[in-house]
Amino acid sequence: MRRRLPLLVALLTVPLLTQPARAAGKTTLTVDLANDAATLDPQLQWDTDSYTVYRNIFDNLVTRDVTGKIVPQVAAAWHYVNPTTIVFTLRRDIRFQNGTSLTAADVVFSIRRITNPSFRSPQLSQFDTIRSVDITGPDQVTLHLKTPYAPLLAQLVKLSIVPKAYVEKVGNTQFNEHPIGSGPYRLEKWQHGVEIVLAANGAYWGGKPPFPAVIFRDVPSDATRLADLRTGRADIDHQMTPDDAKAIARDPALKVLSTPTERVGYLFINAAYGPTKNVLVRRAIAMAIDRNAIIQALLQGYAKPVNILLTPASFGYVSDVPAWPFDPKAARALLEKAHAVGAHLTFLTSPSYNRQITEAIQQMLDNVGLKVAIDQVDQPTFLRRREGPAAHAGNLAQGLWSCACQDADGTIWPLFHSGSIWSKYSNPAFDKLVDAARTSLDPKQRLADYHAAFEILHRDVPGIGLYQAYAIYGARKQLQWMPTPNEAFFVMSMRWK
Amino acid sequence: MSGATGGVLRLPRSIRALAAILGAYAAVAILAPWLAPHNPLHQVLLLRLRPPLYRSPSGTIYWLGTDDVGRDLLSRVIFGARASLSVAILSVSVSLLAGTPLGLLAGWFRGWPAMIIMRIVDSMLSIPAILLAVLTVAVLGPGFFDLILVLGLTRWPRYTRLAYAQTLQIATRPFIRAAELAGARTGRILRRHVLPNIAGPLLVLATTEFGLMILFEAGLSFLGLGIQPPYPSWGSIMSDGRQYVGRAWWMTVFPGVCLFGLVLTVNLLGDRLRDHLDPRSAYR
Amino acid sequence: MLRLVALRIGQAAVSIWGVLTIIFFILHLSGDPTLLLVPPDASRHQIALLRHELGFDRPLLVQYLAYLGRLLRLDLGQSLVQRLPVARILASRIPYTVELTFGALVVATAIGLPTGAAMALWRGRWVERVLVPIVLAGQSLPTFWSGILLILLFGVVLGWLPTSGAQGFSALIMPSVALGALTMATFARMMRIAMLDELSRDYVTAARARGLSFVAVVLRHVLRNAAIPIITIAALEIGNLMAGAVIVETVFAWPGIGQLAMQSIADRDFLVVQAVVLFVSVVYVLSSLLADLAYAVIDPRIRLTP
Repeated sequence: MRRRLPLLVALLTVPLLTQPARAAGKTTLTVDLANDAATLDPQLQWDTDSYTVYRNIFDNLVTRDVTGKIVPQVAAAWHYVNPTTIVFTLRRDIRFQNGTSLTAADVVFSIRRITNPSFRSPQLSQFDTIRSVDITGPDQVTLHLKTPYAPLLAQLVKLSIVPKAYVEKVGNTQFNEHPIGSGPYRLEKWQHGVEIVLAANGAYWGGKPPFPAVIFRDVPSDATRLADLRTGRADIDHQMTPDDAKAIARDPALKVLSTPTERVGYLFINAAYGPTKNVLVRRAIAMAIDRNAIIQALLQGYAKPVNILLTPASFGYVSDVPAWPFDPKAARALLEKAHAVGAHLTFLTSPSYNRQITEAIQQMLDNVGLKVAIDQVDQPTFLRRREGPAAHAGNLAQGLWSCACQDADGTIWPLFHSGSIWSKYSNPAFDKLVDAARTSLDPKQRLADYHAAFEILHRDVPGIGLYQAYAIYGARKQLQWMPTPNEAFFVMSMRWK
Repeated sequence: MSGATGGVLRLPRSIRALAAILGAYAAVAILAPWLAPHNPLHQVLLLRLRPPLYRSPSGTIYWLGTDDVGRDLLSRVIFGARASLSVAILSVSVSLLAGTPLGLLAGWFRGWPAMIIMRIVDSMLSIPAILLAVLTVAVLGPGFFDLILVLGLTRWPRYTRLAYAQTLQIATRPFIRAAELAGARTGRILRRHVLPNIAGPLLVLATTEFGLMILFEAGLSFLGLGIQPPYPSWGSIMSDGRQYVGRAWWMTVFPGVCLFGLVLTVNLLGDRLRDHLDPRSAYR
Repeated sequence: MLRLVALRIGQAAVSIWGVLTIIFFILHLSGDPTLLLVPPDASRHQIALLRHELGFDRPLLVQYLAYLGRLLRLDLGQSLVQRLPVARILASRIPYTVELTFGALVVATAIGLPTGAAMALWRGRWVERVLVPIVLAGQSLPTFWSGILLILLFGVVLGWLPTSGAQGFSALIMPSVALGALTMATFARMMRIAMLDELSRDYVTAARARGLSFVAVVLRHVLRNAAIPIITIAALEIGNLMAGAVIVETVFAWPGIGQLAMQSIADRDFLVVQAVVLFVSVVYVLSSLLADLAYAVIDPRIRLTP
């Protein structure tokens, strides 16, 4: 027995070998995310959780200020030579975290890297209009476009600059695990599925980072994130439900930080299949839905009703195109006129969307005489069906759209342009307007085009905007931070009180 | 093995009592439309998360309170019995009916057919059930019958393995040899002599699986792939309510108690049946 | 004996190949990850381009053979989402899974076996009546609920244990209890049955007739013999515990392979899912093989059956 004891001790201490629990101090900011970052190579991934982390490690070519205006970051200035040529002048005082200077060569490398198809960047589509990029001076980079493209700058907000020499030296895989950027924080440790630890970059050109260290933890369950916040294990819950937000309002140590975002909650209405092919039925659906009940009762006021399928946070928003009013009687009358009372509809959804809203909409439609069956599938299946043939896309589907570009082009073009994967609708007049707005560089003309396009959408109802979604963060009372509509999570803009 | 053929009245009192509880559950499920005070799907968005015994301004009493979209919880729990029970009964039946014949054939014929069947069984058993179920739902799609098919398809190998082992044992018994020598056809021997002798252990396994299937459906609901909304099952009500454990305990406690009671009853019944069918209660 | 072991290993290899085949085809029938990777405003052409670059436009059989070919060269491939070698991703999660599995087994054994034995020894008495519902509770409650209750009680209200995470021994306790509860019930019931079985055997009567005390008989003989079926069950449970911990890992934010598998299914990150399933099935097959061998060693009368 005595001889076996060491083995037993060894077995029992296995769990102790991992590091001891960390005391949550004021020097460290701890953030609970709903998922681990997929990659920290900023050019390889398109998901909010990765984005939330790596935007603090890297600088982008341009960025947005608190008001949403596009302002310089790596690029100090820019001007259009002609509609397809744009020249950027770069800052000279930026250094990467390994000490090397950020130069025009790094910017060109970053753009060529992300637009190279064999690099397989999921973000390729956002930079696809770039034909070529060259160094045209010591601090100057010139971009050539395939066609004029109005949202270009809005897309470049998402272009992180990576260090050419380092990436070429260590290779893509190594860079992904040990990224080096020029941002306010550098990666200290990444335990996949557990946490990402960032340490302040003392030499940051943009000022002193507010916390010596920031920890992003991976906590998938809503209830667990809330418990972490309550017990002080986390300082910010990155993704909070409206009901939880209402609950923590009573907690003296906590507060809710929220802001309207560019994300629009909408209802897709299939104009190419089944009973919803009839525009009267689509209008009836639009009039059967009580946005205010959804916002007040289910979202606890953490949303604003919208009149069109776009939020005021995006360019192209027009306030004078009306929404269909909530009017169940008129909706019923339209259905009777269309001989569609009792028609069967499928409502495609996935666990990624708010179930309560889906169920509420189902009942609202049931109240005016439509039989709606909810088809809840997992998210990949949802996307596959939604983009596939109209017959499988469901008559209705919930959506929560954000192009992270704050421009109507990134919303209604992919949703409703003929031939786009999400569109189950076709109207040549609409197509012409949004095509023109995409390539025009005159904001006034673009706004007029979008106004006309939204009027068409109002008449044809291939989908309706329901609400402008809020980002809801739960935080310690001492944290000072103004969240922004583009849901950027810049630690630089936070402070302890 | 006389117990297996004994009349109901000769069953011990504890088994009869447990069966009666089970019967009560079944009765609630069947009589749900007459028992439930409200339509389990009807929402009143302004009356969300109201506590038990809440009386609405219009005078309606919600005995168990309301859920997160303002539906009557009591009615949902009563109707939830339907979904939970029928999912469990049907999926256990599917896997029992699919798994047993395969095990029977493999155990009787042995050789190559057994090799092939048992390798498939091994493969299926070594895939974690929850992952297999999630993937199959993704392929087959949602819906009540798909769910049953998924659960049935995931669980049949357990019955096959048991039926196989039991058949191997029974096949060597003298009375089987005697039947063979008497010229009985294989099908008849399997039906008349082998099956009745392996039915007991299979039944016991089925009771354990019954409880597991109810929990499995709850687990799938947690992942958003169980019974389709807005229809209730105990699992889906609890999954909807998990966010409100601290603020609206009733949403998880009432269905949780029902679920606990049912699974407990069925498991106890399984244990008692096992003791009863095989007084020496040999392992398996 | 050696020949039989070789045969069993051969069969195990066939089972594992079967597992890979089943999973490969189910996964690929469920769609591919291209749509999840691209931003919502990507065009049909851009999606087709990425799909081609990722190789999902090839015939399924070609993809299958390519996968097997790589696997034979011991290459698990690269994750489409994380863009890292799958082997490295899996390796970073395995220590946590081992910790949790071990913790759950400790809980299940330490509570389940004595309880099961007590239930058998005092069969039909009040001890059994009290113990049965308690033991079965672990098997009759959805873990997503009992897990949250544990967090609220021990994490928030009492503040004894951390509410989430994987750092340190204290963080391991709640997930182990939540996961172990399922297995504990199985162990207790198996132990009860095995004990009852042994207690009714002739040797027990004989030993008692020789004047040995009941306690001595139980300790010396009954427990040892009852251990055999328990070992088998424990071996089979390991596989279940490892990847069956999906919900426990999600609730407690425990970074094991169950959560990894679930996340990878949601991302349709095929190679990661396949690697997790491969790992679990190898563990499952090996542990059941070891259990069989242990069986044969403890009791030479038992022959290995194909």
